[in-house]
Amino acid sequence: MARMGMVFDLKACIGCNACVVACKQENSVPDGVFFTRTLSYEYGEYPGVKRVYIPTICNQCEDAPCEKVCPSGATYTRADGIVMVDRDKCIGCSSCAVACPYDMRTMLDPSVLEKGLFGTGELTPFEQHGYGRYTAGTAVKCDFCSQRVDAGLRPACVETCPTNARIFGDLDDANSAPSVLIRKRNGRQPLPEKGTKPKVYYVD
Amino acid sequence: MMQTSKPLVGNSFKLGYRFQRYWDTSMAIAFFSAEVGAGLFLVSFFLDYVPGMIVGLLIAGTLKPYFHLAHMGVPQKSWRAILRPDRSWISRGALAVALMIGCGVVYLLERTYGVGSAVGLGPAVMTAVGYGAVIGALVVVFYQGLAMAHSESFTLWANPLVPLSSGCYAFTAGSLLALVIGAQSISAEHLGMLRGFSVILLLIDVCVIAGILVLARNKSPGGAFSVSLLLNGEYASLFRYVVIFLGLLVPLVLLLVSQHFVAVLFAALSMLSGFFCYRVLIFKAAVFEPITHDLAGSIGLPRTS
Repeated sequence: MARMGMVFDLKACIGCNACVVACKQENSVPDGVFFTRTLSYEYGEYPGVKRVYIPTICNQCEDAPCEKVCPSGATYTRADGIVMVDRDKCIGCSSCAVACPYDMRTMLDPSVLEKGLFGTGELTPFEQHGYGRYTAGTAVKCDFCSQRVDAGLRPACVETCPTNARIFGDLDDANSAPSVLIRKRNGRQPLPEKGTKPKVYYVD
Repeated sequence: MMQTSKPLVGNSFKLGYRFQRYWDTSMAIAFFSAEVGAGLFLVSFFLDYVPGMIVGLLIAGTLKPYFHLAHMGVPQKSWRAILRPDRSWISRGALAVALMIGCGVVYLLERTYGVGSAVGLGPAVMTAVGYGAVIGALVVVFYQGLAMAHSESFTLWANPLVPLSSGCYAFTAGSLLALVIGAQSISAEHLGMLRGFSVILLLIDVCVIAGILVLARNKSPGGAFSVSLLLNGEYASLFRYVVIFLGLLVPLVLLLVSQHFVAVLFAALSMLSGFFCYRVLIFKAAVFEPITHDLAGSIGLPRTS
């Protein structure tokens, strides 16, 4: 069985946030919620100040702490390694959110779904269509666009990235693009000391 | 190399420390009331002091569930919290609360109205029910700390002393409240014992808090950042003056210098104030580490410590 993962090429990322927008569009992500972010970091002294961009996403950990602490069994890992949340089982206790060392989960505030993007209480047709996949009060997160993966497509953020800074594929396949990249450019996992075994790697 | 980004970045698109914002004041009240109620129940049980047990069960059985449900996103499905005791401390804790309340109520009905005898349950069964409540209460005083220590997200929490602090604070609050509630009805010998027990527990609390700070500071930059928030930063005033001074030192001095009821009452109130403040601050001061501690060197960034 495949073990889906992603590699971020830090040299390629230009911080355009097209991935963030694509994710919002594909998953109808509510206002104030982000399944992926491109963090910026500035360092150095004038006139040599530099800014770098670091994309972040749910790391789909092999030893997922969010799954271990979930008291209701709502968080589970699919056969292809994607960590999912069953919204019908989630009780909104937020223990998964405090267990994720990467701060990659969000508790869905009911008012967000009710007020809509413009805060008027009237949902746009886009919101009316997309919000049906969410339940107020539950935990939400990136699932590598599982609906697209099931259809044999790449996640929306990967598809839209103009610089190929996001590379998606099967980590168990030694010849897949992410596996080759990790091997050749010494891919690193975020916060390895937490022991979560992320399936997201960074190369520079 | 100078770092120009601010270390604390909130929920923004910047790299840096992010505050824990999922467990809020309602969770702090739930934790606090569970520990105070279970602590009072346990102390009262071992003194065989029925009014103390009743008050303890009332505190843990009403405030704890109410504020937990208030915190939950989908409270109507809260029963599902008991489904994974094999891996989740939240599940184990929910079962322990049910055990403590269920067995405790039956035990107290037997003690006050002789209900057990009336329905044909022998003394051995009722003793077993009482110890069932004690086992549940013992889990309740420690499980919240264990749930926090189990999370590797926050160095401030991922600490073996955190569950110990839950237990110590619970027993301190329980013994001080028993001193207040039972001032007129508990024997002088037991009151003296409780006072000594409280003093020892307060001293242990001081050591445990100091231990938590030292371990967190030495474990990771995020832990050191949390400790700096408590000792020198945003929460320093509350931590120093309420948690340490009002919550630990004032009751310690009051118990040592006076046996008067008013002094004991003030000691209990100030300890509870400090304990509650500790519960709130340990939630607020926890920070998510920047994800690039390890990556920083490889991409030429200074460490974000």
